Amino acid sequence: MKRTWALALVTMVTSASVLSACVKSSQRVRALGDGLDARTIPVEYRADYELFAQRCSKCHSLSRPLDNGRIEDRFWAGYVERMRRQPGSGIAPEEVPSILRFLHFYSTEVAADIEAKSEPKEVK
Amino acid sequence: MNTSRWLVVAPLIALITALFTGPAWAVDRNVAGSLQLDYHLSPERSTPVGSGPTFRGFTTEAALKLTAEISEQASVNLKICIGCHGFETDMVHLDYRFADELNVRVGRFSPSFGAFNLRHDPANHRLSDKPLVYDMGRMLRVRDWNLGVLPSPFPDNGVEASGTHWFGSKTQLDYAAHLVSGFKGSTAGADLDFVQSRSGSLYYVDNNDQPAYGGRLALTERFSQNGDVTLGTSLMRGAFDPGAKLMYTITGADLTLRIDRTNLRIEYLMRRQDLDVSDPTRYRYEVPAKGGDSFVKHGGYAELELPVTASLDLVGRFDALFRSGNVLVDSPLQARSGIFRYTLGTAYSLRRGLRLKYSTELWSFSDTGYSGRNEAVSMHIGVATAF
Repeated sequence: MKRTWALALVTMVTSASVLSACVKSSQRVRALGDGLDARTIPVEYRADYELFAQRCSKCHSLSRPLDNGRIEDRFWAGYVERMRRQPGSGIAPEEVPSILRFLHFYSTEVAADIEAKSEPKEVK
Repeated sequence: MNTSRWLVVAPLIALITALFTGPAWAVDRNVAGSLQLDYHLSPERSTPVGSGPTFRGFTTEAALKLTAEISEQASVNLKICIGCHGFETDMVHLDYRFADELNVRVGRFSPSFGAFNLRHDPANHRLSDKPLVYDMGRMLRVRDWNLGVLPSPFPDNGVEASGTHWFGSKTQLDYAAHLVSGFKGSTAGADLDFVQSRSGSLYYVDNNDQPAYGGRLALTERFSQNGDVTLGTSLMRGAFDPGAKLMYTITGADLTLRIDRTNLRIEYLMRRQDLDVSDPTRYRYEVPAKGGDSFVKHGGYAELELPVTASLDLVGRFDALFRSGNVLVDSPLQARSGIFRYTLGTAYSLRRGLRLKYSTELWSFSDTGYSGRNEAVSMHIGVATAF
């Protein structure tokens, strides 16, 4: 009986490690809670992300923009303008470029992930 | 088509032509939505068996929103919801923005009022239910109290002019004024009829020709990079009976303090409501010759939302709701009745956009009600997702 439990435990830990490794290897920027793990964001975009996360989480979940799936800069420019004009948004006009800089970076990451997943696998 | 019809149609055609012709603009669309499933466990039976729903057990709230930018200045929003009432049109409106300082909205929308309504979607707040003053059905003794002061959301047909202006980079002023159909009630009205006011099956049209009016003014001041405070005040006033003789006035004040991801919210609402006293025998208490033809329902909440880790939030909320004034003879309420509610809850992000919510509520009533008790405990467990 003890051996069965030990085997089950080892299997669970091994599976979790493998799954975790798979997730890490496929995503350069990692999710954390409702947003992103800021430590996995390049230093030059980290302050932009912090501003984006602070302002946008005031009214809604960060998953709305992060999981939106849109990657066009023109779309984000219109989206952030619309959010900036929301009552009490707290997004000052001069903060928009910083938020858009992060969204451009993030969209590039998302596009790279989509491209990597759609690349045909080599058959041996 | 006769001349009078052309007088209406021709300006409309001219307006639409002026609004949407100009430099070429590709229509851009965005789809968003949310879903919450909540289980409400309450040992208290707040109404006699078989007298109607008690809003216990499972409730689902889901919404799907489409935004289409049809020109650089104009956008259309359509939001369809499914909740306790079935399918509802929460919004379908056109926004035309002349400048940041002037946006005109026409169609069906929730007019600007209070702070909570800005985040009324269940995916945008950490607890499963709403503050008592905005409650639309999950409060205990919901039939005794006929919901809160202003059940949220409150979609209505009409027009709203609004705007935002920044003074420097630290101060934001928001303002809005609206004309809408307003809440509805019966001729012998003893209160607003919220089902009649919002149900599509009873028509999304007004029951009188007198529009309700109101507005909101709010000032947001940033005192640090990650800290701001918002002070707001709101008003709504209109006639609710078919004869447009019985009036309601709702006022509100709110304060929101945000430091990093910690939020403190305090809000107070008051509704003064006319009563039809043409038949005094309907009321429990004697109707005085002067006055006595209205009641006041008011209350507020204070809520602290505290992030413990990146995935876990703690929420504490205190609610109060009071009613003073005459009541119908069969009402379980008294001339002065009140409720206090104490809530402790947690919200845990299972993954981004998927949140598990749990909360416990302790209720204290001034009246014993059908249960014969002054206190009750209830619990919520729910899952909410935004996409």
